[in-house]
Amino acid sequence: MNKIWAVSYYTFRESLARKTFIGFFIISSIVLAILLLAINIDAVDGAMAGLSVFGKEARGLEIELEKLVINIEVGLATALFTAGLFFSIFATASLVPNMLDKGNIDWLLAKPISREGLLVGRYLGGLMVVAFNVFYLIAGAWLILSLKTGVWHFPFLLSGVLIIAIFAVIYAFMVFLGVSVQNSAVAIMGAYLIMFFSPMLVQRDRIYALLSSKIWQWLLDVIYYLTPRTFEVGAMVKDTVLLEPIASWAPIWHSMALGVLFFSAAVLLLKRKNF
Amino acid sequence: MNEIIATQNLTRHYNRGRVKALQGVSLRSEAGKIFGLLGPNGAGKTTFIKILLGLQRPDNGTATLFGIPVNDPGARAQVGYLPENHRFPEFLTGAALLDYCGRLSGMRDKQKRLQRAEVLLKRVKMWEWRNTRTKKYSKGMVQRLGLAQALLHDPQLIFLDEPTDGVDPIGRKEIRDLLLELKQQGKTIFLNSHLLSEVEMICDEVAILHKGQLLRQGTVHELTTSDKRYRLHAHVGDAELLQQVRSRVSAAEAQNGHLDVVVSNVQSLNDVIDLLRQHQVLIQAIMPHKQSLEDSFFQTIQGTDASDLNALFDVNKAEQEANV
Repeated sequence: MNKIWAVSYYTFRESLARKTFIGFFIISSIVLAILLLAINIDAVDGAMAGLSVFGKEARGLEIELEKLVINIEVGLATALFTAGLFFSIFATASLVPNMLDKGNIDWLLAKPISREGLLVGRYLGGLMVVAFNVFYLIAGAWLILSLKTGVWHFPFLLSGVLIIAIFAVIYAFMVFLGVSVQNSAVAIMGAYLIMFFSPMLVQRDRIYALLSSKIWQWLLDVIYYLTPRTFEVGAMVKDTVLLEPIASWAPIWHSMALGVLFFSAAVLLLKRKNF
Repeated sequence: MNEIIATQNLTRHYNRGRVKALQGVSLRSEAGKIFGLLGPNGAGKTTFIKILLGLQRPDNGTATLFGIPVNDPGARAQVGYLPENHRFPEFLTGAALLDYCGRLSGMRDKQKRLQRAEVLLKRVKMWEWRNTRTKKYSKGMVQRLGLAQALLHDPQLIFLDEPTDGVDPIGRKEIRDLLLELKQQGKTIFLNSHLLSEVEMICDEVAILHKGQLLRQGTVHELTTSDKRYRLHAHVGDAELLQQVRSRVSAAEAQNGHLDVVVSNVQSLNDVIDLLRQHQVLIQAIMPHKQSLEDSFFQTIQGTDASDLNALFDVNKAEQEANV
């Protein structure tokens, strides 16, 4: 366990040394600074008495304080789910292929650590750095908004958990691709393809009408069930913050089961690989 | 016998059997020795080391380190490895890299890791550079750091793949001294080097690998000393006597007051001595012919001892032609 933790810790440090994560962190910090300094909300007995952005008073904005906070949080959660995941995929895609590079893997595998231990450590390290960045923004924004308005909206924190969970699934898929083809670009493309096709696959009932053969419908179903349901989880993130009832938790459980499958396949592949 | 490395019929093919990297290699190495693995490029040396370290799996055969099968990570607990053309994480400093390696090798105590890192960084003359990122290191510095990481957890068996690659002559000498020091401490060192003179200087035992086959294994003394070639310090001026000598041995050449003979066994050598003494020839000394490891290596790679000696003395040519 100590060795896996060492791999995770140094993967975390390696990720922090990358400019993408630094960029992510800087953007998050700017957003937090704007929330902290630029937005001033005057709240009286739970109602918004006045709102100013960058010192300019926003007039004619008739909105409840709680609704305003929720709307800001929905905006942040949506931005994190799209741009945040985009950044994270880009920044973590090379972690596994780099580790498997000739010259790098030789000295690592010569240490008394199992291959699965090495991969688990690498996976957890990448996940840790993304979780750190997501929670830095989510928890920071939540704290600032709560302190400023007195509206303590806990479901916003849950949206962070959902974002991390779906990233963990996509990252497991990238790890699988990374071990299979040892190429960061392929891992990035694979992850973006999943995110790109997910909204279409949800609408596959409508696509059926355009397909001539049943085989294509069946194929579409297979693809749908074999890919993480990122679009539906995205909708769940929004619903969670908006306090809308979640119709089904199946998309997240299904995606997480696929994540376990992808990661297990990656481990099996790595164990069979010759370097 | 305290066997550290043992392989049995190790076989590894690439490209669906088209490239035979290893063909049934059986090798054993005992504790406390410096073992050199020699062979031209593509001989299978790196494949052999990679199988021992669990980086590759053999198609056939078995390999153990300390009696533990090599596919068990526990077999590598007492192993240090300096790979050829290694690449360390560039974001880490020398000291941080050693800390990472220590943790991966199971050194839980941070204080011990730090102490050991200090000793080794000073030993390989990298202490001043400990807080510099490895991306700023020269090739020689990376090699020194690589050596330090291989020795960090005080392993009993150390695999070194071209350890002096990119290191200046002074550094090479220092590394050789370090290896000899490690040997004195009872460590076993498995050295893969192209520098035959270096191998000859420090190795106790050598194996020659060629086209995936183990051609020879023995001590450096055994490989450099022939039991078939002798130099007799004696003046043989009589052509008829020389002809008689030649009839008793595989090859013989007399020049500058000495007689070089190639014999098939010790009995033949004694027959020659008896013959010379019968003719009142004074023998001042009899010495087995000693050659450099490089000569021995080339002889082994190019063919059998006899065929090379034939070329050397340029005799038996006519005989061979007649036989053909």
